[in-house]
Amino acid sequence: MKIVVGLKQVPETTNVKINEKTKNIDRRGVSGVINKYDRNALQTALDIRDVVGGTVIAMSMGPNDFAVSLQEALSLGADEAVLLSDRAFGGADTLATGYVLAEAIKKIGGVDLVIMGQQSVDADTGQMGPIVAEMLGISQVTYADEIQPKSDNELRIKRYDDNIEQEIIAKTPLMLTTTGNAGKPEYVNVVEIKNSFEKPLTTWTSKDMPVDSNRLGQSGSPTVVRRIMSPEPKERAGKMLSTDATKAAEELAGILHEENLLAEED
Amino acid sequence: MDQLKTREEILLRMVKSFTENEVAPFDSEIDQTRSYVNNLLEKVHDAGFYSLVTPEEYGGAGFDGRTSAKVLNILAKGNASIAVTLEGHYKSVEQIVKYGNDKLKAKYLPQSADRIIAFPMTEPTGGSNPMGINSHAEKHGDSWIINGDKIMITNGGLAEIYCAMVKTAPTELSFFVVDQDMDGFEFGKQEKFLGLTGCPIGEILMDNIEVDEYHLLGKVGMGPEIGNSAHDDARVLMGAVLTGIMEHQLDIVSEYATQRKAMDTPIIELQTIQRKVADMTIAKETTKLLYQQAAIMKDSGQDYEQEAAMAKAHGSRAAVKSGDDALQILGGYGYSLEYPVEHLIRDARAMELAEGSVEKMRTEIALIEAKSRV
Repeated sequence: MKIVVGLKQVPETTNVKINEKTKNIDRRGVSGVINKYDRNALQTALDIRDVVGGTVIAMSMGPNDFAVSLQEALSLGADEAVLLSDRAFGGADTLATGYVLAEAIKKIGGVDLVIMGQQSVDADTGQMGPIVAEMLGISQVTYADEIQPKSDNELRIKRYDDNIEQEIIAKTPLMLTTTGNAGKPEYVNVVEIKNSFEKPLTTWTSKDMPVDSNRLGQSGSPTVVRRIMSPEPKERAGKMLSTDATKAAEELAGILHEENLLAEED
Repeated sequence: MDQLKTREEILLRMVKSFTENEVAPFDSEIDQTRSYVNNLLEKVHDAGFYSLVTPEEYGGAGFDGRTSAKVLNILAKGNASIAVTLEGHYKSVEQIVKYGNDKLKAKYLPQSADRIIAFPMTEPTGGSNPMGINSHAEKHGDSWIINGDKIMITNGGLAEIYCAMVKTAPTELSFFVVDQDMDGFEFGKQEKFLGLTGCPIGEILMDNIEVDEYHLLGKVGMGPEIGNSAHDDARVLMGAVLTGIMEHQLDIVSEYATQRKAMDTPIIELQTIQRKVADMTIAKETTKLLYQQAAIMKDSGQDYEQEAAMAKAHGSRAAVKSGDDALQILGGYGYSLEYPVEHLIRDARAMELAEGSVEKMRTEIALIEAKSRV
């Protein structure tokens, strides 16, 4: 099975800074890591490959320093990696990014399965997987929690949605997005890091794919970000009640009454 | 792509994640139970940490002194004991790399991926005074017969291979590599120390252990040089461990002092608290600069004895004082066994003694300094 895994390098910190001018994430001076859900996607791909055989290709779009995350994916067991990097790709929203990823997957050819994390922890849109699936014209299953290969071209997928457990048998070609429950990401082995440099990591620019320049970067991005703000941290609203059960019940009833949360007796 | 830089970045990303998930959550439990709970050692082994400094030609990762120190800095922020266990292993591997003959290296360096190596020097009659030891080796034909007991060994009982310092003549010190599979090798008692409680400290007993000539590290009489080299390597790494301890203290104090209020004001707004936090920050940063400077000098082939001694001498006292400041800021919580601050002081205190006392460090630092100026 030929599997492409989409990886995004995100800032290590949860304190994401936004460039006021461009409204994009300001990555300067912040070290990056692989988006945590994408680690689940990668591990899922590696697990499937180990059962049915095949190739795992890690793919990312971004500046040259994203290559570190692809190299990390190779250290974790991916067979090949492709970095999509070009000034023309800069400032892309999810639509323009999805377009480039889809074109790159078409260029690879014969891809059976595309796996991405359910969302990135910096932009949090959750749109990338579905956009790529639509652009490739293939089926998609989002928020997959458990994935087992059923045969060479079929997967058994479990997903939990609003307390409903769904089991889906899906045929390839297919796009999956994975939750934090899928796969069990392993640690890079200290010794394997150096061996990963023997695997191919290729960079493709806009010249390497038959892309429409109007659909790239900012010009291909219909999204307009009007305002970005960090949510104010909420003060804890909890109230401490007495440890004595009778007193605690009285206090709780009093609070519910004050807040008008109790129905009046007829 | 700069391959070395990328290798280091991928490694440090892993170490941070490993520390956050597998080490830090179990810090207090490791301290209280005196053991590496949650299969920590197995996980450390499986992630390849044992092979970090072992050269690539022997199956290791071959990372340099600066990177290995950074790794221990990060790990120690989660738990200092596991960082000291690896420190003891790394310095031992490094001495076999530096002084071992080809046959010795071929035998033990590939094993360093799976078996911890220790470096026993101390005996009841000699530690900082190495000529006071009684262990000895006698030559019999092509082999050596080793006798003697070693105490207070970092990883003693856990390690399976030991680079032991013995006398080969009344005033001649040498090192031999022995392992637990040899006839005449036994483990002695385990120490119960005040701090770094996760890291086993124990004895070995050597009773007529017979080894081939190639088990001699370096040459006969090179004991003092090899011992000093091991100390220097260990002291750089201890500077890194101490930096990690101080970073841990600062994390605890920063969270507490920004949330805890006195008269409706977070106590971090009070100058008396600010002064302590500032002193802790300066102590952490100076120790970090010292160990990194020593590691850079080591990697570039310069003499780093003085810098290594300064990293440990300054860092150990600074971390104890910084821990004391942290305890004072947290008040009763700092003094409670339920919070980690008190054990961080105990952990740091160990390093004023281990790998040469701070008094001995100061003698070395002073003599090197004076000599360089005369």
